[in-house]
Amino acid sequence: MSDNDPDKVWPTGLTLREAEEVHSYLIDGTRVFGVIALLAHVLVAVTTPWLG
Amino acid sequence: MMFDYRAFAYNQISRIAPRYLPFADVATEDVPLSRLLRLSLFQVTVGLALVLLAGTLNRVMIVELQVPASLVAGMIALPLVVAPFRALIGFKSDTFSSALGWRRTPFIWKGTMWQFGGFAIMPFALLVLSGYGDAVDAPRWLGLGSAALAFLLVGAGMHMVQTVGLALATDLVKDEDQPKVVGLMYVMLLFGMVAAAFIFGVLLENYSPGRLIQVIQGCAVVTIVLNAIAMWKQEPRDRERAAQILERRTVPRFSDHWKQFIRYDGAFRLLVIIGLGTFSYGMADVLLEPYGGEVLRMSVADTTKLTAVLAGGTLLGFGIASFTLGRGLAPVRLIRSGALIGVPGFLAIIFAAHIGDVLLFVGGTCAIGLGAGLFGHGTLTETMRRAPKEHVGLALGAWGAVQATAAGIGVALGGLLRDIVVHVPTVTAMAPEMPYITVFTLEGLVLAFVLVITLRLKNVQRLDMKTEQSIMPLGFDSPSRRNFEAIR
Repeated sequence: MSDNDPDKVWPTGLTLREAEEVHSYLIDGTRVFGVIALLAHVLVAVTTPWLG
Repeated sequence: MMFDYRAFAYNQISRIAPRYLPFADVATEDVPLSRLLRLSLFQVTVGLALVLLAGTLNRVMIVELQVPASLVAGMIALPLVVAPFRALIGFKSDTFSSALGWRRTPFIWKGTMWQFGGFAIMPFALLVLSGYGDAVDAPRWLGLGSAALAFLLVGAGMHMVQTVGLALATDLVKDEDQPKVVGLMYVMLLFGMVAAAFIFGVLLENYSPGRLIQVIQGCAVVTIVLNAIAMWKQEPRDRERAAQILERRTVPRFSDHWKQFIRYDGAFRLLVIIGLGTFSYGMADVLLEPYGGEVLRMSVADTTKLTAVLAGGTLLGFGIASFTLGRGLAPVRLIRSGALIGVPGFLAIIFAAHIGDVLLFVGGTCAIGLGAGLFGHGTLTETMRRAPKEHVGLALGAWGAVQATAAGIGVALGGLLRDIVVHVPTVTAMAPEMPYITVFTLEGLVLAFVLVITLRLKNVQRLDMKTEQSIMPLGFDSPSRRNFEAIR
């Protein structure tokens, strides 16, 4: 069984490359949402500081 | 005997997994109306964003947050800056390199995230900008920068979602169903705008900073939920396309493809028509209400009803367009009627001032709405019909770029004129209708000009029907590409 075959369709119904792409969307989303959350927190802290 | 966990897990995963992945199962020939209805939800979020940016926040920033009007105007104009890039976005989606063979869904998702992100930071950015609470001491650039970023994100996300969403709709439906889909998309946009305007109005009646945060962030959540529902399992996976993209030797360049696109018979002419027509109707949109109020002395309640008449006319236009196009009428003829109805409409509005007849004015307004509906539907259907399979995104991007820019400039100029009329009383003391009539005359003339150009717009069927070889995907040495090189 060759696990390195790029065209093999895994039980998820995806090939390795496809699965990596789906995963990349997840990672990108996490990054974008993380940055947005950070920025939103900074702005909130400027208007109504909650520490000190 | 040992239980084979591995086999069991594989078995379970393989049975469950595809249900939880956002692909369409197969590329079916017939996409049912219910699925298209679901897809058209993205238009609701676009309408929502449009109303929030141009209408609701415009007022809230000036009245409640006391941000200078010129700054507000600048912020609201920011999304317009992104509009011309719609052609590029469409092109990028046409040539997107994906192992899944996807072209549209990643862009709709990305656009949705931007829209969400913009909405998520927008209320706090606006509060910082207006110097609320401790933000009085905040540096000026922080408020300005974050507010500008929020508006840009929402604008860019909105343009991206709409461009690529329309391209996906074009991919999915058969040619004869396109009028139906275009009608659906327009009606959903209108529905989103009307519903949003109404709901924001109710929610923000008792304004407080907390309420502002709730409303805008609620918008963000609604946007991401509706768009996720809209794009779920719409675009089929395509391993063949993915494999072809992997073999691609050259990176497709926008300028090449744009030159190729604009060379298609009538492509440039159609874009000019779309631009001028949309400009005319967009400008009329903002001027009808103050015209009715100042020149014809209609009450505020009556001028608000005027907006309903205009929207009703537009809806009627969409209905007529969907019906007649579905029965085989050429979209070009519909574009002509759309421009044609506008000319007497503007004439009626102009003469209504002379004889002081409100009914004539309302009739003219209805005609303008009807013309705008027919024109909008006709041009989008024609764009979809002409778009060659490999340039669907680019064609719809070009449509959107021209349409959004023209409408934005029209609305901005209309608003500018309205402000001049309001703030320079000496000009208008003697004849308050003069500036309006000048503009309405101009709009009528532009529409007449559009009509003349459309006479030379030929009925073109989808191009790749004639030249089968051009269906080849982009970026290879396909025959169509070689032909194109030869032409150059």
